[in-house]
This record gives sequence, C-alpha cells and structure tokens, in this order.
Amino acid sequence: MYKSILLAADGSDNSYRAAKEISKFHFEGTVVTVLNVIAYSDSKTDVLHGSNNRSLERERLAKISNITEYFESENIAYEVLFEHGEPKETVVKVANSGDYDVVVLGTRGLNSLQEMMLGSVSHKVAKRAQIPVIIVK
Amino acid sequence: MIETLKKEWLTDPKTNILAGILVALALIPEAIAFSIIAGVDPMVGLYASFIIAVSISILGGRPAMISAATGAVALLVVPLVSEYGVEYLLAATLLMGAIQLVLGILKIGKLMKFIPKSVMLGFVNALAIMIFMSQIEHIFGISISTYVYVGVTLLIIYVVPRFFKAIPAPLIAIIVLTAVYLFMGADLRTVGDLGAIERSLPSFIIPDVPYTMETLRIILPFSISMAIVGLVESLLTAKIVDDATDSYSSKNRESRGQGISNIIAGFFGGMGGCAMIGQSIINVRSGATTRLSTFTAGMVLIFLIIVLGDLVVQIPMPILAGIMVMVAIGTFDWGSFQYVVKAPRTDALVMIVTVVIVLFTSNLAMGVIAGVVLSALFFATKISNITVDRSESGNDVSYRFNGQIFFASVDTMMNQLDLDDHDKAIELDFTAAHIWDDSGVDAVDTMITRLKRRNNQVRIKNLNKDSRKIINELSMINQEELNMGG
Repeated sequence: MYKSILLAADGSDNSYRAAKEISKFHFEGTVVTVLNVIAYSDSKTDVLHGSNNRSLERERLAKISNITEYFESENIAYEVLFEHGEPKETVVKVANSGDYDVVVLGTRGLNSLQEMMLGSVSHKVAKRAQIPVIIVK
Repeated sequence: MIETLKKEWLTDPKTNILAGILVALALIPEAIAFSIIAGVDPMVGLYASFIIAVSISILGGRPAMISAATGAVALLVVPLVSEYGVEYLLAATLLMGAIQLVLGILKIGKLMKFIPKSVMLGFVNALAIMIFMSQIEHIFGISISTYVYVGVTLLIIYVVPRFFKAIPAPLIAIIVLTAVYLFMGADLRTVGDLGAIERSLPSFIIPDVPYTMETLRIILPFSISMAIVGLVESLLTAKIVDDATDSYSSKNRESRGQGISNIIAGFFGGMGGCAMIGQSIINVRSGATTRLSTFTAGMVLIFLIIVLGDLVVQIPMPILAGIMVMVAIGTFDWGSFQYVVKAPRTDALVMIVTVVIVLFTSNLAMGVIAGVVLSALFFATKISNITVDRSESGNDVSYRFNGQIFFASVDTMMNQLDLDDHDKAIELDFTAAHIWDDSGVDAVDTMITRLKRRNNQVRIKNLNKDSRKIINELSMINQEELNMGG
C-alpha cells in the first residue's frame, strides 16, 4: 500500500478529480503531499497582485483550497508543498526525490495553451517518473 | 562574511555561468532596441548594459537579478536626447545615479511599501504600452517586407520555445532572419541605418556639457524621473526574484548598488538603466542563484559585441521591433483586465489614472507620483469616515464615536453632534475611536467647551492610551473629566 502519495495540484477541476480518486486507495497512515508548482513567470503576476509578501502564501493556499478542503472533509492526512520551477520538470524532480511511493495527477491543468498540447505535464511525468504514475481522467 | 561571499558567488558555478551566457544573448537585441528608442547609438545601451550588469553583480543587493539598459529609462530620456544630445543624457545618468545612491543611503527601500498595488500595476502596464508604441514607427508604413519580417520574428519567438529551449528564441529569430536578409536582401532598415557600432571597450569620459546651473536645470527633472523609475522597477524586480528563489535580499543595498552602477555607466558612455523583470526571470529559470550569473551576462555581452560588432549593424530593424513587441506583451500584466473588474472601484481608478497620466506625459515617474497621490487621497477619504451615534435616556445622553479623529474627519464629526443639549449628563464614548493629531484634540476641546457652556455635565469614556497621551499633551480639558471615564 502507498504510504506517501504525491499529488500534483494546480487547483483545476482535473487536479480536484485526481484528489478525489486518492480517497479510493489511501489507508490510515497515508500522507498525501499536495505539490503546487509556481512557474517563474507566475512570480511576477503573484508579486504584482499580492497585497504584500506575507499574504502571498495565503493567496497561493487559497488557489488549491478546493483540494485541501476535500482532504480535510475526508480525514485524509496531507501536507502542502510549494516549489518554484517549470511545472513538468519540477513534478518529475519531486516525484523522483525518493520520498514518495506514487505520483497522482490529472490529465491536463489550467493552462489553456497546454490543453491544446494534450496534457504535456502528464505526458512528461508518465515518461520520466521513476515511481508509479496515476493519471486521472 | 567570507561564507556569504562564497555562497553568493561560487554556488553551482557551471549552471550560473550558462545562465549568464543565455542572458547575455537575450540582452543584446534589447540593449540595441532600447538605445534606438532613446535616440542614441546602440553602443550607449550596450556599454550601459555591460557596465551596469558587471557593477551590480558586485554591488547589488539581489544575487541573480539582471540589471542593464532598460526601456523604462530609455523612454524617459527621449525628449532630453532629441533636444540636447547624448552628452546631456550621460550627465543626467550621473545625477540619476547620485540621487539613487543618496536615496539608498537614506534607506528608501522601505518607502516602496507606500506604492500601492494599483500604482505598480499601472506602472508595468503603461511601460508595456509605451514600449509597444515606440515600435509603431519601425513596423507600420515602411514596406511589405517589414511586415513579413516582424510577423516571422513573432512566429519564431512564440512557437520555437515549445520544441527547443536551449537558445533564446529571440536570438534564433535574429540569426535566422538576418542570414535570410543577407542572402536575399529586402527593402528594410537595419541597425546600421540608425547608429554605429564600435568594436571597442568603453573608456572613461567626463560628459561634455557646460557645468552650469542652466545644465542642472535641464537635466535635474530627467534625473529625478530616471532615479524614481529605476528604483521602482529594480525593487519590484528584486521582490519577484526574492519570491522565485525563496530568499530575501537587501533593498537598501540594491538601491545603493543601482546608484553607483549608474554613476559608473555615465562615466563610461552608457545610458542609465535598472533591473529587468524579463531578463531576471530568464536567468532564474535557467537555474541561476548567484552574482556570478549577472557578472557573466555583462562580460559575455561586451565580448560578443567586440567579436560580432560588424554583424550586429546588419540586423534588420523589424526583427528588433518584433522582439520589442514580445517584450511589451511580456511586460504587460494581463491579469489587470480582471483586476479592473473585480478590485474596489477606487483601486481600479488609480490604476487607470496611472496609465493615462504616463501615456499623456510620456513619463513613467509622473504616473507613479500621480497614482500615489490619488490613492493617498482616496485612503484619506475612506479613513476620514466617522460616525457619531447618539442615545438618550432621561437626562443621560451618550455620544459614541466610531472612526479616526484627525484633521480630515473633524468636520464630519462635529456636524453629527447636537450641541443644543442643555442641563444634561453627557457621556462621550471613545471606545471605537482614535484621536490622531492636534485638529482632533481641538475638536474634542471645542465640543466639551460648548457642551459645558450650556450647563451640561461632560464625561469622557474609554479613551485609548495613544489618544489619552495626545490629549494630555495638547488639550485644555482638565484631568477631572479624563479621569472620570477610566
């Protein structure tokens, strides 16, 4: 059974569905790490639109609140991990860090351009991750 | 100290050097294009970029941030250059640096927090719009081939990175399209048509201007604007790099570093500059975390110019114009449309006013100042909202004050009082109020004097500590009334 699950989450409906899927195979003692990748170009938008440095983290937490609230209601233990970087490489890097048993992600994220490119993050992660990958449709 | 130096220079040198080289390649077209915007030879922007990058890598507060000649400063100096020439620009750059250095020593970084979000959004959007507008003359109404080159440049910039990221797409556009142009020829203007490239290192010069009050009168307004705009963009960029690298940096050291770097640039024939958001993101995205990356960017830039100077003059202008369109698109904050709809009306208005003032005056500094003043006024209006609730039971009257009592709110407060009461026991309840200044104290004094004149008994209730202190210092109210409340 999976003790440590990595969930790649951007707050989209797809990642929410991926989170719901986890409830089907998590056990007591399983910890889900909710990974939110902040692209470098997002730093500009977030700093410009954030009221101040301290509120930045709160605003970022709010973005994935649909998932954290779901885990709370289901009593699933979770922690949140923010990483700066390009989404594809960063999810692969964290998945291969050795700390996780499985990586779960949705087929495609928020980025509308990437939607045209047919879920390039899930494609790359499936190809490069050294742990089992669950892609939720 | 040594530890910090080592960490800030020598962590992962390979990645940082590679990132620096990448940034140098991306800087060349921008430095040339910004020079052309300012109306000076490309060398003025290239020298500036080399000097500022190298100098800020040592003196700046934010490792891995890239500073060089920028559009924000270039756009400011257009009238100065066209009316008085490049020597005045160099003198203005010296003064700009001196102003920034003084502001840095006075620890002005802290003042950045007084620039509201709405003004910062207006600033970047106005900058983007101005960069785009500056390219119109290089794109429209020249020739069919100009349109074709601009179009293909944009195509390369936006499509190639999806498949190939090792070389910056703007550079690919320059190399491929300049080669095409050299082979096939076309009815285009080139960089060489707009200025000369010298294949030499910059040398020390003292700007050739008369050192008189008249000169100071000419350059001072420009220098002030350049200093403000340079610091606003630099400190904003520093915050962005702080966030992207999960670290903190000294904003005051950055301000001082920007000042010294601009002074050096001015003495070596370079125009003023500041930090660049786009280039810094390219650097960090490539894995840069240290000062070495910024240093490398500057050194590689000047090396490339000395080696490739002859080729640079052959670059067709429409390619640079296409790259500048990309810079404008990247600078614009596209979330602002949503912001205008969703933000409080006054904030949205401040952002729009900031943009409009910049476009109207062609001066980013004016926009920032107008935006800050306007939002301060809105803030004062909002905070000067005060309500007074009156309740009466038999002979007892109670006034409850809600809000901030200061010069802007005392009129509103006094108008809500009924000073016709007489022979009553009146309680003034300050539980939800705060007295800030002598106007506030005066108002309270006046109120009490008038009430007492009509034979009322006045009692003050729940004055907070600060308000009590200022009343004690400034008021004529006697201790008796103060103490009765408690």
